[in-house]
Amino acid sequence: MPEVSKMKKPDVKVVLLGDMNVGKTSLLHRYTERRFKDTISTVGGAFFLKQWGPYNISIWDTAGREQFHGLGSMYCRGAAAVILTYDVTNWQSLAELEERFLSLTDTANHDCIYALVGNKADLTDPKAQLSPDSDVASEECEESGCPTPPASPASLSGMTLHKQVTPEDAAALYGRILRYKGLEEKSSLPAEKLCFETSAKTGYNVDTLFEALFDLVLPCILRKRNENQESPTVDLEECRGTSNKRTRSACC
Amino acid sequence: MSVKAFELVPAVERDLLMGDKARINIECIECCGKHLYMGTNDCFIHHFLLDEVTSSKGKLSYSAQKLLHKYLGLKKPVAELRAASALERLIVLCDGMVFLVDMVTLETVPSAAGGGAKIRGVTAFCINENPVNGDPFCVEMGVLSSKRRMVQIYMVYEDRVQLVKEVSTPEQPCAVSVDGYFLCLALATQYMILNYNTGASQDLFPYNSEGRRPIVKRIGREEFLLAAPGGLGMFANAEGVSQRAPVNWSESVIGAAVCFPYVVALDESFITIHSMLDQQLKQTLSFRDGHILQDFEGKVILASTKAVYVLVPLPLERQIQDLLASHRVEEALVLTEGAQQNIPKDKFQILHKRILQQAGFIQFGQLQFLEAKEYFRKGQLDVRELISLYPLLLPASSSFTRCHPPLHEFADLNHLAQGDQETVLRCKKFLITYLGEVRSTEAANGCREDVDTALLKLYAEQDHDSLLDLLASDNACLLADSVPWLEKYQKYFALGLLYRSNGQDSAALELWIRVADGDLQDSTRSDLYEYIVDFLCSSLDLVWKYADWALRKDPAMGVHIFTKRPAMKELPELNPDDVISYLGKHSQALLLYLEHLVLERRIQKEKVHTHLAVLYLEEVLSLLSQSPADEEQISRAREKLQSLLRESNLYRAPFLLGKMENCEQLLLERATLHGKLEEHDKALHILVHKLRDFPSAEAFCIWASSCRDSAYQQQLFHLLLGVYLDGNPPGKAQAAAGGGGDLEMAAVDLLNRHGEVFDAVRVLRVLPEGWSLQLLRPFLGRAIRASIHGCRTSQIALGLAHSENLQLLHDRLKDRKKPIFVSEKKGCHLCHNTFSEPDVVCLPGGVPVHTHCVAQRVRDSPTKRQLTNSSNHT
Ligand SMILES: Nc1nc2c(ncn2[C@@H]2O[C@H](COP(=O)(O)OP(=O)(O)OP(=O)(O)O)[C@@H](O)[C@H]2O)c(=O)[nH]1
Ligand SMILES: [Mg+2]
Repeated sequence: MPEVSKMKKPDVKVVLLGDMNVGKTSLLHRYTERRFKDTISTVGGAFFLKQWGPYNISIWDTAGREQFHGLGSMYCRGAAAVILTYDVTNWQSLAELEERFLSLTDTANHDCIYALVGNKADLTDPKAQLSPDSDVASEECEESGCPTPPASPASLSGMTLHKQVTPEDAAALYGRILRYKGLEEKSSLPAEKLCFETSAKTGYNVDTLFEALFDLVLPCILRKRNENQESPTVDLEECRGTSNKRTRSACC
Repeated sequence: MSVKAFELVPAVERDLLMGDKARINIECIECCGKHLYMGTNDCFIHHFLLDEVTSSKGKLSYSAQKLLHKYLGLKKPVAELRAASALERLIVLCDGMVFLVDMVTLETVPSAAGGGAKIRGVTAFCINENPVNGDPFCVEMGVLSSKRRMVQIYMVYEDRVQLVKEVSTPEQPCAVSVDGYFLCLALATQYMILNYNTGASQDLFPYNSEGRRPIVKRIGREEFLLAAPGGLGMFANAEGVSQRAPVNWSESVIGAAVCFPYVVALDESFITIHSMLDQQLKQTLSFRDGHILQDFEGKVILASTKAVYVLVPLPLERQIQDLLASHRVEEALVLTEGAQQNIPKDKFQILHKRILQQAGFIQFGQLQFLEAKEYFRKGQLDVRELISLYPLLLPASSSFTRCHPPLHEFADLNHLAQGDQETVLRCKKFLITYLGEVRSTEAANGCREDVDTALLKLYAEQDHDSLLDLLASDNACLLADSVPWLEKYQKYFALGLLYRSNGQDSAALELWIRVADGDLQDSTRSDLYEYIVDFLCSSLDLVWKYADWALRKDPAMGVHIFTKRPAMKELPELNPDDVISYLGKHSQALLLYLEHLVLERRIQKEKVHTHLAVLYLEEVLSLLSQSPADEEQISRAREKLQSLLRESNLYRAPFLLGKMENCEQLLLERATLHGKLEEHDKALHILVHKLRDFPSAEAFCIWASSCRDSAYQQQLFHLLLGVYLDGNPPGKAQAAAGGGGDLEMAAVDLLNRHGEVFDAVRVLRVLPEGWSLQLLRPFLGRAIRASIHGCRTSQIALGLAHSENLQLLHDRLKDRKKPIFVSEKKGCHLCHNTFSEPDVVCLPGGVPVHTHCVAQRVRDSPTKRQLTNSSNHT
């Protein structure tokens, strides 16, 4: 049953951002449905409510297409974590993150966590061709005979592609993101902790990515729950306060 | 894809509105209860009364009745109409001017003294349906003016409007909606949220206004629906956050509304309906020249330029049923669950359960048993709904009737399987596991009988192992229904168990006996007879009733019903006398029973022992009388008889002796009996002279004296020796001639073997003169050694006694030499009391003690006593 129907109030929001075709929807599918299936380019956006222990986490899958670019800041508003996704076989997709998507995250929480995820690692990296965290998942995939959609020209030819983005490139971008956010590198989480290479196709690192992020946003969840508990009526004031701040920061 | 969620029903037809005036177009509408107002391009307001009519078939239609129309006198189209029903006013926008019109008369309301009732230069306005101000007789209105970067907030009263607030905007706004303090605006290039109280603003997202009217639609508390680039309907709340995923309608949407859980949108040629729950397009209705789509108090009204329609939602339940009918289980559940907030709790629960149950049956019909089970469980299905699908499983007495309307389309399992036996079997297997899981849960409350009976039937039919487990444990199977079923599948053993669990042990036994006798066929238990015997062991009344059968079938096994009875409090013991007299006609069983009493339970009763002995004897006698005699059997039978005669002291020996007096074949037994009667001479006579069985004679002596003292034994051995030496008994001279030597040798052997028992002196006196010393060497050697041993032992004892005596003398002398003090202050070492008189005894070492204490000590101490004894001896 789709989780959407349950309409529980999410405790916290996680947003997937990145250029079209990098595999955001596929990543979310892999995580929530444990399989890799055919996707169509996302229209607008979609979200999934993940029950994580006693908490509800909404994960927003956004559309990478230029056309929907304008909606990005709205999706990111109040986000506790943003997953900036690129395609390891496509240098441009990393560049786009910096040029086009980073500014959309201005509306996210001030303590928002940024993860850099290079997807489609299966195309370049033999070790990503077998899922380490669940061989069941890949078995399942074969069993159900789910068609492997032509991901990119590479998978059609069946060769491993040239890797265009190295982990070092990603780490460097991560450093620039921190600088953009005005954060001290020393007091922030290190790049190793927040740069991932994944494969939605094989499931490589996918659970690791989401679980790691959830662990990191837990303080945010607890703080939010706490605030709500202490004074449920403050809500309105609170949101007004933050919105004030936001307008100000937008001015500068 | 399609669900039928709405129906488009005409409300005001073209004729009614404009007759034959072709150039008149509808510009705007307002609906307030049954009152429908319409503004036209020729500056008229039309007022209709709209009545809902439901036909006998339940079909809804509208009948419109024209009440009034009024020309506003401005020659411009009426752009906007809004009712303020509490004020009985219509707020009209026409020719850039907002003014008030009486709802009934449609007369323009003149300005009141002191305040205008008109606003000029207006491009758009909106009414706050969630006003912050609490006054019910005033309406809050947001107004956009041409060429001004601001929004004005007005209060509308019965006869005037009053400006209360102005907030500026970064760009010229072109569409507005308001909720509480929050204005949702479409500016020239983007949407934004603006709090008119604090002035705080929140950019939402940019849009491209070229040629397209933006849509800003309040859909609920602090939530708005906006037309976004790429043909999206975006949701945004007052904080500027999207809490629902967008729907993908079309690029050219003219109007949109939410009719939960659907988003309805109108473009040039279609009405599209998306679900807010899963963002999917659910229904498309073609609609030409669409112009207006608006919702009024939950009612969605559309207008083309010429006619008005109502978009009537089909009842939720009907939609869900449609989905289920096309087996779209998940969508149906999403729709149901999505409607939770809109339905009273108890009603929702009933609906939800029902949908889950239906979903379960759909999965069931597709043989998706796992999913089906999950839905049944969540929907708390009355298991009997499922059972009733299987013909004949529900007991005839069950009061169950299927729920109406039915939860599924199947008449029964055969209908579902379409004759495919494989499918039928799979369904049955599923029901077996399902019922097995359900029967111990509360889902079976109130219908345990139905569940258990159905399960029993399935088990029986499928030859399932658990049938016996079911019946052997606590169960609620109905007897009346199960009996024929179990009989049909020849599960007689199981049927017996069922009788038993219904307290009909006797019926169970009758049945089992027929199976054991081969009258009925059921191979469940190959050891059924043993099972029955076992069962009888622990029954009280039935044991008498069926003992005869059990004993006749196999006496040795059957007698277990008497001998193997468990010791239980609830089970009183049977009186052995009753059993014995009952077993009169079952000789073999009787024998076994008596053996059980005597040998196992060790009952000390003369009668029983005698009875057993007599039976043993009779057995032996009967075996002896057979020809040819089976030696082996005879010897086994005699062995038993002999051992009883030897071991038991209770039987009546003379009686038995009388019974075998004349039987020359049972000499050994007779000897034993004589022995029991202490007629040892007779016994030995038989053994020695008749049987000439010297080892037995010796063994007899040992046996007969086994619990007696050595003198008795000596006496017996001397007796035996005498018998040997006396030689031929009178009247048997013939035999003696050859046998005299034998007896002498037996005597020699006896002496040599058991020399220690004899009194050697007496022996020497009776031995014949002529016997050689050599012959008796072992005996004599042992006798001499024994005598010398005795002599020397005595000497040692004597010596020891001497030395003890000396020691005592020594002590006494020592004590005499020095005085022994006895005073009232000194205590006796043995009893610790003081001395009251001077008579004392001194222990070795000169310790004074009371005379009576030392006497006591000597009496109590075993070592002392032995010492005294032995000294007596010596
Ligand atoms: N080989 C490989 N292909 C992938 C992987 N993830 C996604 N793809 C393919 O890449 C294409 C795009 O995937 P999507 O998940 O739709 O991409 P997206 O980021 O959601 O794209 P937009 O919705 O347009 O923004 C699809 O053809 C996928 O099959 C991966 O890990 N490995
Ligand atoms: Mg996508």
